[in-house]
Amino acid sequence: MSFREKSAWAMGVVMLVTGLFYAAMVLAMPRAPLLGPLIPYVLAVIVLSIVTQAVLGIASPREANAPADERETVAIDRAGHWSGNALGLGVATALILYVSGVEITLVMHGIMATLIVSTVVEYALQIWFFRRGTA
Amino acid sequence: MSKRPPITNRVRELREENGRMSQAALGEAVGVTRHTIIAIEQGRYSPSLETSFRIARLFGVGVEDVFGWEGE
Repeated sequence: MSFREKSAWAMGVVMLVTGLFYAAMVLAMPRAPLLGPLIPYVLAVIVLSIVTQAVLGIASPREANAPADERETVAIDRAGHWSGNALGLGVATALILYVSGVEITLVMHGIMATLIVSTVVEYALQIWFFRRGTA
Repeated sequence: MSKRPPITNRVRELREENGRMSQAALGEAVGVTRHTIIAIEQGRYSPSLETSFRIARLFGVGVEDVFGWEGE
């Protein structure tokens, strides 16, 4: 498994676990202000991302310092394209919900959920393209 | 599943003819990872024109001696 695939697996797990953490906090207090669950979530993402990348970098320092090659760049770009579409669709849906009168706090949580899901999708697609190719 | 590109190649054969060069050594020489060389050899990835030329020049042959169109 290449360094970038390992990194995508690790970051996908980090985003999934922290996403579930965020969901648990929101479900416990759905109408609490957005900053309540957002601050611990962002801190968890930052800390776990740094720890994960540091561990991967120490395990394979040479690969970690090398830039993505042409095949990896195409895979990463294509995954970003599709996850970006998913993010756009989610944000547009949230805006429609807001215009329809849904409470702004719930809409903001919806946007956060879309962001988290699109990031998980991005890492999953990276793994798929690394393994199956991009043709 | 992604479609397999219709391009054949003799990269593995050329590596073996050239002192059984490793996939990692070839990747390093042409500026891609070992995993990309594996993907090229398995026909899962068609390299860029630049990488194709780098591979051909490394083995001292023409690009058409390394890469071909399926069925030709």
